[in-house]
Amino acid sequence: MKVAVIGGGVAGLSAAYFLAKSGVNVKVFEQKYLLYGASGRNSGGLTVQFNSEPLIRLAKRTLELYDSIQSEVGFNFLLRRDGYVKIAGEGEESELKKEVEFQRRNGVNVELMEPEFVRELFPDINTFAFSVASYYADGGVVFPWPVVWGLAKGCRELGVEVYDYTPANVELKGNELVVKANGESYKVDYVINAAGAWSDEISKQVGVELGNKVYREEICVTESLKPYVDPYIMDISTGVYFSQSMRGEIVGGILGSETTTLETKASLDFLTSYAKRITELVPKLRGMAILRQWAGLYDVGRNGIPVIGETKVKGFIQLNGFGRHGMSLALAAGEGVAELITKGKSSIIEPFKP
Amino acid sequence: MKDRKVVCRCEDLTEEEIVHAIELGYDDLESLKRFTGATTGPCQGKGCLMHILRILSQKTGKSVDEIGVTTQRQPVNPVPLYILAAKKGDEE
Repeated sequence: MKVAVIGGGVAGLSAAYFLAKSGVNVKVFEQKYLLYGASGRNSGGLTVQFNSEPLIRLAKRTLELYDSIQSEVGFNFLLRRDGYVKIAGEGEESELKKEVEFQRRNGVNVELMEPEFVRELFPDINTFAFSVASYYADGGVVFPWPVVWGLAKGCRELGVEVYDYTPANVELKGNELVVKANGESYKVDYVINAAGAWSDEISKQVGVELGNKVYREEICVTESLKPYVDPYIMDISTGVYFSQSMRGEIVGGILGSETTTLETKASLDFLTSYAKRITELVPKLRGMAILRQWAGLYDVGRNGIPVIGETKVKGFIQLNGFGRHGMSLALAAGEGVAELITKGKSSIIEPFKP
Repeated sequence: MKDRKVVCRCEDLTEEEIVHAIELGYDDLESLKRFTGATTGPCQGKGCLMHILRILSQKTGKSVDEIGVTTQRQPVNPVPLYILAAKKGDEE
Protein backbone atom coordinates (compact mmCIF):
# COMPACT_ATOMS: atom_id res chain seq x y z
CA MET A 1 0.00 0.00 0.00
CA LYS A 2 1.23 3.48 -0.88
CA VAL A 3 0.19 6.71 0.80
CA ALA A 4 1.04 10.31 -0.05
CA VAL A 5 0.61 12.99 2.60
CA ILE A 6 0.22 16.58 1.44
CA GLY A 7 1.51 18.91 4.14
CA GLY A 8 4.41 18.42 6.56
CA GLY A 9 2.73 19.85 9.64
CA VAL A 10 1.76 18.14 12.86
CA ALA A 11 -1.33 16.50 11.34
CA GLY A 12 0.33 15.13 8.22
CA LEU A 13 3.47 13.97 10.00
CA SER A 14 1.45 12.28 12.72
CA ALA A 15 -0.53 10.33 10.13
CA ALA A 16 2.68 9.45 8.30
CA TYR A 17 4.34 8.34 11.53
CA PHE A 18 1.54 6.00 12.57
CA LEU A 19 1.16 4.60 9.05
CA ALA A 20 4.89 3.92 8.87
CA LYS A 21 4.72 2.13 12.22
CA SER A 22 2.24 -0.23 10.58
CA GLY A 23 4.66 -0.82 7.74
CA VAL A 24 2.92 1.35 5.15
CA ASN A 25 4.98 3.03 2.42
CA VAL A 26 4.52 6.79 2.96
CA LYS A 27 5.79 9.95 1.30
CA VAL A 28 5.21 13.40 2.78
CA PHE A 29 5.21 16.47 0.54
CA GLU A 30 5.75 19.90 2.11
CA GLN A 31 5.50 22.87 -0.26
CA LYS A 32 7.94 25.03 1.73
CA TYR A 33 10.17 24.26 4.71
CA LEU A 34 8.86 22.24 7.65
CA LEU A 35 7.31 24.78 10.08
CA TYR A 36 6.19 27.13 7.30
CA GLY A 37 2.51 26.58 8.07
CA ALA A 38 0.49 26.87 11.25
CA SER A 39 2.47 24.08 12.94
CA GLY A 40 5.50 26.34 12.95
CA ARG A 41 3.76 29.60 13.80
CA ASN A 42 1.46 28.85 16.72
CA SER A 43 1.85 29.47 20.43
CA GLY A 44 1.77 25.83 21.54
CA GLY A 45 -1.19 25.93 23.93
CA LEU A 46 -2.40 22.47 24.93
CA THR A 47 -5.84 21.89 26.37
CA VAL A 48 -8.91 19.68 26.31
CA GLN A 49 -11.30 22.56 27.14
CA PHE A 50 -13.53 22.06 24.11
CA ASN A 51 -17.25 22.35 23.49
CA SER A 52 -17.98 18.93 22.07
CA GLU A 53 -17.41 15.41 23.28
CA PRO A 54 -15.59 14.20 20.13
CA LEU A 55 -13.16 17.14 20.34
CA ILE A 56 -12.50 16.43 24.01
CA ARG A 57 -11.73 12.79 23.17
CA LEU A 58 -9.36 13.81 20.39
CA ALA A 59 -7.59 16.29 22.68
CA LYS A 60 -7.24 13.82 25.55
CA ARG A 61 -5.72 11.24 23.24
CA THR A 62 -3.38 13.85 21.74
CA LEU A 63 -2.06 14.74 25.19
CA GLU A 64 -1.30 11.06 25.83
CA LEU A 65 0.44 10.76 22.48
CA TYR A 66 2.84 13.62 23.20
CA ASP A 67 4.31 11.58 26.03
CA SER A 68 4.66 8.35 24.09
CA ILE A 69 5.89 9.88 20.82
CA GLN A 70 8.58 12.04 22.34
CA SER A 71 10.17 9.03 24.00
CA GLU A 72 9.73 6.84 20.90
CA VAL A 73 11.42 9.30 18.58
CA GLY A 74 13.98 10.50 21.12
CA PHE A 75 13.21 14.20 20.84
CA ASN A 76 12.39 16.59 23.66
CA PHE A 77 9.19 18.47 22.80
CA LEU A 78 9.77 20.93 25.67
CA LEU A 79 6.27 20.19 26.93
CA ARG A 80 5.15 21.64 30.26
CA ARG A 81 1.91 20.70 31.96
CA ASP A 82 1.57 23.73 34.16
CA GLY A 83 -2.08 24.31 33.42
CA TYR A 84 -4.24 26.00 30.81
CA VAL A 85 -6.32 28.87 32.19
CA LYS A 86 -9.18 30.55 30.37
CA ILE A 87 -10.18 33.86 31.90
CA ALA A 88 -13.25 35.99 31.19
CA GLY A 89 -14.65 39.38 32.05
CA GLU A 90 -18.23 39.93 33.21
CA GLY A 91 -19.63 39.89 29.67
CA GLU A 92 -18.37 36.36 28.99
CA GLU A 93 -18.74 34.99 32.50
CA SER A 94 -21.86 32.92 31.83
CA GLU A 95 -20.38 31.56 28.60
CA LEU A 96 -17.32 30.30 30.45
CA LYS A 97 -19.43 28.85 33.26
CA LYS A 98 -21.58 26.92 30.78
CA GLU A 99 -18.48 25.62 29.07
CA VAL A 100 -17.05 24.39 32.37
CA GLU A 101 -20.30 22.63 33.28
CA PHE A 102 -20.36 20.91 29.89
CA GLN A 103 -16.76 19.82 30.14
CA ARG A 104 -17.18 18.49 33.67
CA ARG A 105 -20.20 16.45 32.55
CA ASN A 106 -17.91 14.98 29.89
CA GLY A 107 -15.28 13.86 32.31
CA VAL A 108 -12.86 16.77 32.00
CA ASN A 109 -11.20 17.71 35.23
CA VAL A 110 -11.72 21.44 34.70
CA GLU A 111 -12.60 23.83 37.50
CA LEU A 112 -14.22 27.23 37.76
CA MET A 113 -11.98 29.56 39.75
CA GLU A 114 -11.90 33.05 41.23
CA PRO A 115 -9.30 35.54 39.93
CA GLU A 116 -7.46 35.17 43.23
CA PHE A 117 -6.69 31.54 42.35
CA VAL A 118 -5.05 32.61 39.08
CA ARG A 119 -2.88 34.99 41.07
CA GLU A 120 -1.63 32.04 43.09
CA LEU A 121 -0.57 30.39 39.83
CA PHE A 122 0.92 33.57 38.43
CA PRO A 123 1.46 36.36 40.98
CA ASP A 124 1.80 39.20 38.43
CA ILE A 125 -1.69 38.83 36.96
CA ASN A 126 -4.02 41.78 37.55
CA THR A 127 -7.07 40.24 39.24
CA PHE A 128 -9.17 43.32 38.40
CA ALA A 129 -8.77 42.65 34.67
CA PHE A 130 -11.13 39.64 34.66
CA SER A 131 -13.86 38.13 36.81
CA VAL A 132 -13.71 34.36 36.48
CA ALA A 133 -11.37 31.60 35.28
CA SER A 134 -11.57 28.04 34.02
CA TYR A 135 -8.58 25.97 35.08
CA TYR A 136 -7.41 22.77 33.44
CA ALA A 137 -4.46 21.54 35.46
CA ASP A 138 -3.18 18.95 32.97
CA GLY A 139 -3.00 21.41 30.08
CA GLY A 140 0.01 23.52 29.30
CA VAL A 141 2.43 24.54 26.62
CA VAL A 142 4.46 22.65 24.06
CA PHE A 143 7.15 24.09 21.78
CA PRO A 144 5.71 23.30 18.33
CA TRP A 145 9.05 23.23 16.49
CA PRO A 146 10.57 20.17 18.17
CA VAL A 147 7.22 18.41 17.80
CA VAL A 148 7.52 18.78 14.02
CA TRP A 149 11.24 17.95 13.99
CA GLY A 150 10.70 14.95 16.24
CA LEU A 151 7.85 13.59 14.14
CA ALA A 152 9.88 14.14 10.96
CA LYS A 153 12.83 12.32 12.54
CA GLY A 154 10.58 9.46 13.67
CA CYS A 155 9.06 9.24 10.19
CA ARG A 156 12.42 9.20 8.43
CA GLU A 157 13.77 6.52 10.75
CA LEU A 158 10.78 4.38 9.78
CA GLY A 159 11.58 4.86 6.10
CA VAL A 160 9.18 7.69 5.27
CA GLU A 161 10.39 10.13 2.62
CA VAL A 162 9.75 13.64 3.91
CA TYR A 163 10.27 16.07 1.02
CA ASP A 164 10.51 19.75 1.92
CA TYR A 165 10.35 22.58 -0.63
CA THR A 166 8.30 20.21 -2.77
CA PRO A 167 4.87 21.44 -3.87
CA ALA A 168 2.64 18.58 -4.96
CA ASN A 169 -0.45 18.34 -7.12
CA VAL A 170 -3.01 15.58 -6.90
CA GLU A 171 -4.73 14.20 -9.98
CA LEU A 172 -7.56 11.78 -10.37
CA LYS A 173 -7.09 9.55 -13.43
CA GLY A 174 -10.12 7.36 -13.66
CA ASN A 175 -10.17 5.75 -10.24
CA GLU A 176 -6.48 6.24 -9.71
CA LEU A 177 -4.87 8.87 -7.48
CA VAL A 178 -1.65 10.31 -8.84
CA VAL A 179 0.57 12.78 -7.00
CA LYS A 180 2.83 14.96 -9.12
CA ALA A 181 5.88 16.40 -7.44
CA ASN A 182 9.63 16.61 -8.03
CA GLY A 183 8.84 16.30 -11.74
CA GLU A 184 7.64 12.76 -11.12
CA SER A 185 4.30 11.02 -10.88
CA TYR A 186 3.50 8.78 -7.94
CA LYS A 187 0.58 6.39 -8.15
CA VAL A 188 -0.84 5.97 -4.65
CA ASP A 189 -3.68 4.17 -2.93
CA TYR A 190 -4.40 7.04 -0.57
CA VAL A 191 -3.80 10.77 -0.47
CA ILE A 192 -4.04 12.51 2.90
CA ASN A 193 -4.85 16.19 2.54
CA ALA A 194 -3.16 17.74 5.58
CA ALA A 195 -2.35 21.05 3.93
CA GLY A 196 -3.83 23.33 6.57
CA ALA A 197 -4.77 26.69 5.09
CA TRP A 198 -3.96 25.30 1.65
CA SER A 199 -6.29 22.29 2.00
CA ASP A 200 -9.09 23.77 -0.12
CA GLU A 201 -6.70 24.14 -3.03
CA ILE A 202 -5.56 20.51 -2.80
CA SER A 203 -9.12 19.29 -2.41
CA LYS A 204 -10.28 21.11 -5.54
CA GLN A 205 -7.64 19.27 -7.58
CA VAL A 206 -9.68 16.07 -7.27
CA GLY A 207 -13.03 17.83 -7.50
CA VAL A 208 -13.94 17.68 -3.82
CA GLU A 209 -15.47 20.84 -2.35
CA LEU A 210 -14.09 21.30 1.14
CA GLY A 211 -15.16 24.83 2.07
CA ASN A 212 -12.81 25.34 5.02
CA LYS A 213 -12.44 28.93 6.18
CA VAL A 214 -8.97 30.44 6.46
CA TYR A 215 -8.01 32.53 9.46
CA ARG A 216 -5.01 34.74 9.98
CA GLU A 217 -3.62 35.15 13.49
CA GLU A 218 -0.72 37.20 14.83
CA ILE A 219 1.73 36.51 17.62
CA CYS A 220 4.71 38.32 19.10
CA VAL A 221 7.45 37.60 21.62
CA THR A 222 9.24 39.73 24.17
CA GLU A 223 12.85 39.52 25.18
CA SER A 224 13.63 36.61 27.52
CA LEU A 225 12.99 36.50 31.25
CA LYS A 226 13.77 33.87 33.82
CA PRO A 227 10.95 31.27 33.81
CA TYR A 228 8.12 32.70 35.86
CA VAL A 229 4.84 32.31 33.95
CA ASP A 230 3.80 28.70 34.48
CA PRO A 231 0.36 28.32 32.84
CA TYR A 232 -0.96 29.21 29.40
CA ILE A 233 -3.46 32.04 29.88
CA MET A 234 -6.27 32.72 27.40
CA ASP A 235 -8.57 35.70 27.86
CA ILE A 236 -11.79 34.78 26.07
CA SER A 237 -13.19 38.32 26.44
CA THR A 238 -10.52 39.98 24.29
CA GLY A 239 -8.95 36.97 22.56
CA VAL A 240 -5.55 37.85 24.01
CA TYR A 241 -3.45 34.93 25.18
CA PHE A 242 0.08 34.45 26.47
CA SER A 243 2.52 32.02 28.00
CA GLN A 244 6.25 31.79 28.50
CA SER A 245 8.42 29.74 26.19
CA MET A 246 11.25 27.56 27.44
CA ARG A 247 13.59 30.21 26.03
CA GLY A 248 12.04 32.68 28.45
CA GLU A 249 10.20 34.87 25.97
CA ILE A 250 6.63 35.90 26.74
CA VAL A 251 4.79 34.56 23.70
CA GLY A 252 1.42 36.14 23.11
CA GLY A 253 -1.18 36.84 20.50
CA ILE A 254 -4.78 37.66 19.72
CA LEU A 255 -7.33 35.22 18.29
CA GLY A 256 -7.36 35.44 14.50
CA SER A 257 -10.03 36.49 12.07
CA GLU A 258 -11.17 35.17 8.73
CA THR A 259 -9.19 36.18 5.66
CA THR A 260 -9.50 35.58 1.96
CA THR A 261 -5.83 36.05 1.09
CA LEU A 262 -3.13 33.59 2.05
CA GLU A 263 -0.81 36.31 3.32
CA THR A 264 1.32 36.25 6.44
CA LYS A 265 2.21 39.91 6.80
CA ALA A 266 2.43 41.12 10.38
CA SER A 267 0.72 44.37 11.42
CA LEU A 268 1.32 47.26 13.78
CA ASP A 269 -2.42 47.28 14.63
CA PHE A 270 -2.03 43.87 16.19
CA LEU A 271 0.97 44.94 18.17
CA THR A 272 -0.72 48.01 19.70
CA SER A 273 -3.93 46.10 20.54
CA TYR A 274 -1.93 43.32 22.13
CA ALA A 275 0.25 45.76 24.05
CA LYS A 276 -2.81 47.51 25.50
CA ARG A 277 -4.43 44.34 26.78
CA ILE A 278 -1.33 42.49 27.96
CA THR A 279 -0.22 45.50 30.03
CA GLU A 280 -3.68 45.55 31.66
CA LEU A 281 -3.48 41.85 32.40
CA VAL A 282 0.15 41.93 33.54
CA PRO A 283 1.11 45.53 34.34
CA LYS A 284 4.66 44.55 35.22
CA LEU A 285 5.36 43.65 31.59
CA ARG A 286 5.13 47.34 30.59
CA GLY A 287 8.88 47.75 30.33
CA MET A 288 9.47 44.54 28.39
CA ALA A 289 10.42 44.99 24.74
CA ILE A 290 8.82 43.18 21.82
CA LEU A 291 11.54 41.43 19.83
CA ARG A 292 9.66 40.00 16.91
CA GLN A 293 6.18 39.45 15.56
CA TRP A 294 4.73 37.25 12.85
CA ALA A 295 1.46 36.04 11.41
CA GLY A 296 0.19 32.59 10.52
CA LEU A 297 -2.70 30.97 8.69
CA TYR A 298 -4.93 28.14 9.78
CA ASP A 299 -8.09 26.59 8.41
CA VAL A 300 -11.37 25.96 10.18
CA GLY A 301 -13.70 23.24 8.94
CA ARG A 302 -16.98 24.32 7.40
CA ASN A 303 -18.95 23.33 10.50
CA GLY A 304 -16.42 24.81 12.90
CA ILE A 305 -14.85 21.42 13.59
CA PRO A 306 -12.00 19.53 11.88
CA VAL A 307 -12.64 17.51 8.72
CA ILE A 308 -11.18 14.02 9.04
CA GLY A 309 -11.94 11.00 6.91
CA GLU A 310 -12.42 9.63 3.41
CA THR A 311 -14.27 11.71 0.84
CA LYS A 312 -16.51 10.66 -2.05
CA VAL A 313 -13.29 10.19 -4.02
CA LYS A 314 -12.06 6.77 -2.97
CA GLY A 315 -8.68 7.02 -1.25
CA PHE A 316 -8.75 10.80 -0.87
CA ILE A 317 -8.71 11.58 2.86
CA GLN A 318 -9.17 14.92 4.57
CA LEU A 319 -7.11 15.70 7.66
CA ASN A 320 -7.56 19.43 8.11
CA GLY A 321 -9.74 22.21 9.51
CA PHE A 322 -8.25 22.10 13.00
CA GLY A 323 -8.52 25.84 13.50
CA ARG A 324 -6.09 27.19 16.06
CA HIS A 325 -6.09 23.91 17.97
CA GLY A 326 -3.95 21.71 15.75
CA MET A 327 -1.39 21.22 18.51
CA SER A 328 -4.14 20.01 20.86
CA LEU A 329 -5.93 17.75 18.38
CA ALA A 330 -3.87 16.70 15.41
CA LEU A 331 -1.71 13.91 16.85
CA ALA A 332 -4.75 11.80 17.69
CA ALA A 333 -6.38 12.73 14.39
CA GLY A 334 -3.30 11.51 12.52
CA GLU A 335 -3.33 8.30 14.49
CA GLY A 336 -7.02 7.89 13.66
CA VAL A 337 -6.44 8.37 9.94
CA ALA A 338 -3.67 5.76 10.03
CA GLU A 339 -6.10 3.39 11.72
CA LEU A 340 -8.77 4.16 9.12
CA ILE A 341 -6.35 3.28 6.33
CA THR A 342 -4.87 0.15 7.87
CA LYS A 343 -7.99 -1.23 9.59
CA GLY A 344 -10.81 0.33 7.60
CA LYS A 345 -12.34 2.06 10.61
CA SER A 346 -11.49 4.47 13.42
CA SER A 347 -14.08 5.49 15.98
CA ILE A 348 -12.21 8.52 17.33
CA ILE A 349 -12.32 10.33 13.96
CA GLU A 350 -15.77 9.06 12.91
CA PRO A 351 -17.62 12.22 14.12
CA PHE A 352 -15.44 14.39 11.86
CA LYS A 353 -15.97 12.58 8.56
CA PRO A 354 -16.37 14.90 5.55
CA MET B 1 38.76 27.55 24.40
CA LYS B 2 40.58 29.63 21.80
CA ASP B 3 38.85 27.55 19.10
CA ARG B 4 35.44 28.53 20.37
CA LYS B 5 34.18 30.83 17.62
CA VAL B 6 30.98 32.49 18.74
CA VAL B 7 28.89 33.40 15.70
CA CYS B 8 25.63 34.34 17.42
CA ARG B 9 26.04 36.25 20.66
CA CYS B 10 22.36 36.50 21.58
CA GLU B 11 21.84 32.75 21.55
CA ASP B 12 25.44 31.91 22.45
CA LEU B 13 26.07 29.75 19.39
CA THR B 14 29.46 28.67 18.13
CA GLU B 15 30.43 27.94 14.55
CA GLU B 16 30.76 24.30 15.54
CA GLU B 17 27.15 24.17 16.71
CA ILE B 18 25.93 25.66 13.44
CA VAL B 19 27.98 23.14 11.48
CA HIS B 20 26.60 20.33 13.63
CA ALA B 21 23.01 21.44 12.93
CA ILE B 22 23.70 21.55 9.18
CA GLU B 23 25.13 18.03 9.40
CA LEU B 24 21.96 16.87 11.18
CA GLY B 25 20.04 17.91 8.07
CA TYR B 26 18.88 21.41 8.99
CA ASP B 27 20.65 22.60 5.87
CA ASP B 28 18.38 25.31 4.55
CA LEU B 29 18.40 28.76 6.12
CA GLU B 30 14.82 28.67 7.46
CA SER B 31 15.30 25.32 9.19
CA LEU B 32 18.79 26.17 10.44
CA LYS B 33 17.53 29.42 11.95
CA ARG B 34 14.74 27.69 13.83
CA PHE B 35 16.76 24.68 14.94
CA THR B 36 19.63 26.72 16.35
CA GLY B 37 17.79 29.93 17.29
CA ALA B 38 20.29 31.98 15.32
CA THR B 39 18.80 35.30 14.08
CA THR B 40 15.88 35.04 16.53
CA GLY B 41 17.46 36.68 19.58
CA PRO B 42 17.60 40.35 20.61
CA CYS B 43 19.72 41.34 17.57
CA GLN B 44 17.21 39.68 15.21
CA GLY B 45 19.98 38.62 12.87
CA LYS B 46 21.76 41.93 12.57
CA GLY B 47 24.85 40.48 14.20
CA CYS B 48 24.77 36.88 13.07
CA LEU B 49 22.98 36.43 9.76
CA MET B 50 26.12 37.04 7.69
CA HIS B 51 28.05 34.43 9.69
CA ILE B 52 25.22 31.93 9.32
CA LEU B 53 25.07 32.54 5.57
CA ARG B 54 28.83 32.14 5.27
CA ILE B 55 28.88 28.84 7.15
CA LEU B 56 25.86 27.51 5.29
CA SER B 57 27.42 28.47 1.96
CA GLN B 58 30.75 26.83 2.86
CA LYS B 59 29.08 23.63 4.07
CA THR B 60 26.53 23.19 1.29
CA GLY B 61 28.43 24.68 -1.61
CA LYS B 62 25.45 26.88 -2.43
CA SER B 63 26.00 30.55 -3.19
CA VAL B 64 24.71 33.15 -0.75
CA ASP B 65 22.21 34.20 -3.45
CA GLU B 66 20.88 30.67 -3.71
CA ILE B 67 20.52 30.42 0.05
CA GLY B 68 18.61 33.69 0.29
CA VAL B 69 17.77 35.51 3.49
CA THR B 70 15.14 34.92 6.16
CA THR B 71 12.07 37.10 6.60
CA GLN B 72 12.94 40.25 8.52
CA ARG B 73 10.43 40.28 11.39
CA GLN B 74 9.22 43.56 12.81
CA PRO B 75 10.15 45.53 14.82
CA VAL B 76 13.64 46.32 13.50
CA ASN B 77 14.74 47.19 17.01
CA PRO B 78 13.02 45.99 20.20
CA VAL B 79 10.12 48.25 21.29
CA PRO B 80 8.86 48.30 24.90
CA LEU B 81 5.20 47.41 25.47
CA TYR B 82 4.41 50.69 27.25
CA ILE B 83 5.24 52.61 24.09
CA LEU B 84 3.08 50.35 21.96
CA ALA B 85 0.26 50.57 24.51
CA ALA B 86 0.38 54.38 24.75
CA LYS B 87 -2.61 56.39 23.62
CA LYS B 88 -2.24 59.54 21.58
CA GLY B 89 -1.24 62.36 23.91
CA ASP B 90 0.22 60.09 26.62
CA GLU B 91 3.39 61.45 28.09
CA GLU B 92 6.50 59.51 28.95
